[in-house]
Amino acid sequence: MLLKMNRVSFFIKAAAASLMIFSSMLSAAEPGDISRGSVDWANNCARCHNMRSANDFRDGEWAPIMTHMRLRAGLSGQQTRDILAFLQSSNNRPVVSSSVLHNISSPISLSGKAIYNKTCIACHGANGEGAISGVPKLSERLPLSSDEVHLQHIKNGLLSPGSAMAMPANGGNPNLTDKDIAAVLKYIEKEFGQ
Amino acid sequence: MTLVKTSFISLLLVSVSLFTANNANASSETEALKARIQSMEKELSDIKSLLRQQINTSATKAEVDAVKKEVQVSNNQQNERESFDSKVHLGGYGQVGFSDGNSTNSRFNQVQFSPIFHYQYRDDLLLEAELEMEVEENGETKIGLEYLTIDWLINDYMALVTGKFLSPLGQFRQNLHPSWINKLPSAPSGFGHDQAAPISDVGIQLRGGIPFGDSSHVNYAVFVSNGPELELNEDGDEIEAVESAGFTRDIDGNKLFGGRIGFLPIPNVEIGLSGSVGDIALEGESDRDYEVFGVDFYAQVAKLDIRGEYMKQEVASLSSSIAEEGQQWEAWYLQSSYKFFTTKFEAVARYSDFDSTHADQDQRQWAIGLNYLIAPNAQLKLAYEFNEGLADSSNDDDNLLLQMAFGF
Repeated sequence: MLLKMNRVSFFIKAAAASLMIFSSMLSAAEPGDISRGSVDWANNCARCHNMRSANDFRDGEWAPIMTHMRLRAGLSGQQTRDILAFLQSSNNRPVVSSSVLHNISSPISLSGKAIYNKTCIACHGANGEGAISGVPKLSERLPLSSDEVHLQHIKNGLLSPGSAMAMPANGGNPNLTDKDIAAVLKYIEKEFGQ
Repeated sequence: MTLVKTSFISLLLVSVSLFTANNANASSETEALKARIQSMEKELSDIKSLLRQQINTSATKAEVDAVKKEVQVSNNQQNERESFDSKVHLGGYGQVGFSDGNSTNSRFNQVQFSPIFHYQYRDDLLLEAELEMEVEENGETKIGLEYLTIDWLINDYMALVTGKFLSPLGQFRQNLHPSWINKLPSAPSGFGHDQAAPISDVGIQLRGGIPFGDSSHVNYAVFVSNGPELELNEDGDEIEAVESAGFTRDIDGNKLFGGRIGFLPIPNVEIGLSGSVGDIALEGESDRDYEVFGVDFYAQVAKLDIRGEYMKQEVASLSSSIAEEGQQWEAWYLQSSYKFFTTKFEAVARYSDFDSTHADQDQRQWAIGLNYLIAPNAQLKLAYEFNEGLADSSNDDDNLLLQMAFGF
């Protein structure tokens, strides 16, 4: 009985200590970050289930889903906000050609390498061989289609044959312009083309 | 006559001179006109060229309308995302199946529908509940509340989960059992109801996650709950199983304390340690010690997923009880799955072993399966189980299983 009470006491103290430690770690909440979110999305979701496409749910639905997943997967609040930002930015299907949008918006140009490292690397990996299950090697996919087809795939998203997850439109980054997409494709071809 | 001639000649000369002068003027005007026409043609050509350029680079009315529509949709989405404090999502999963055992008739079965409700208020609260509706062998429909919790998100690293929750011990029961997630149509031996792994409980939990370093991560859950109850065999002289269905009573009067800590040193690798201690009792008897211990792991190597789990429940003996003997239930499994690239097929193999102090409960099982991924959240599963249990018992019966599972 004494041993049992000691155990109970240990758990109560451990829980109380945890509460104090974690509360002391409180920091100001940052808004969700798309780039960090894409990495956390790639690193965590497939631990339990196949990757779901961002287009499966509306923005308003993703919020409670991500809170549910925060609790299930043991994510931090910041990781949850980051993944939510990535999913919400990825699930708006383009309804007009992006060339029209390109003329209307003011693009901020980045180098192809910078775009790849910011947007594509989470799933495709630094070596282009796929950082998560189901993502094909870029070196194997590039020769299969023309530049025009690759550009459309990046713009509109793509579910590769045999892959359980779809690449979101613009790789999940709605800020990419046609110029950015062309730049990143050029970089991918240079780096990973055979 | 001479005068007439002279006049005629003069008139003729004047006419000729006038004609010549007019002709010279007309020629210069024509040239001027030609020059103007050429100039206008050039201007027209330039205008056409500019117009063509403008058409190519400008939005048509239809395109502008489409953009306006998109902006409106985007605004609506933005409003939906930011303006409302309450957000709702209805999800869940369903399954239907077919099985054919060596000593049983083939049958269509596994008809189950499990809607999940999520209601979120700001970033503070989440109510989540899952119903489980299942058609039984006799045709009746069983309805149960799988879990219902109200979760308070205290800070970025901690949430308070209150209500009836899936046991946080191990991984299979809390995260992997839904049919659209489980890669085989059945649970591993020992991880079903009233076996080695606790199912659910009623109480409170603190749970959360802490990232550290570039890509490492720790997650945790600690809980205090009413705990499970003991179930006697038909003769009433032995403990048959530990029931952990989530009771709202506490017949031993003592709470169960436990938790799990998961460590993710690198992405897509997780090692977990679980345990709980407390008391358990038969109604009207004194309580006795009850302990659970578990270890689980997951790793992804390229397209290969490997996971495993060990779980042990132990109940101490009690000399004053009608079921004096202590009991233990122990189970483990190792599962591997591989996705074939360029196809939608996935192969799965799993070995599981369930040992208890009751020989009729023991089972060792090899299960192999081939899944067709209709979508990431829907799959058709074909599996065969090679079972080894007490001779002539259902645990010894091999099974062919087919299942359609859909998560939504």
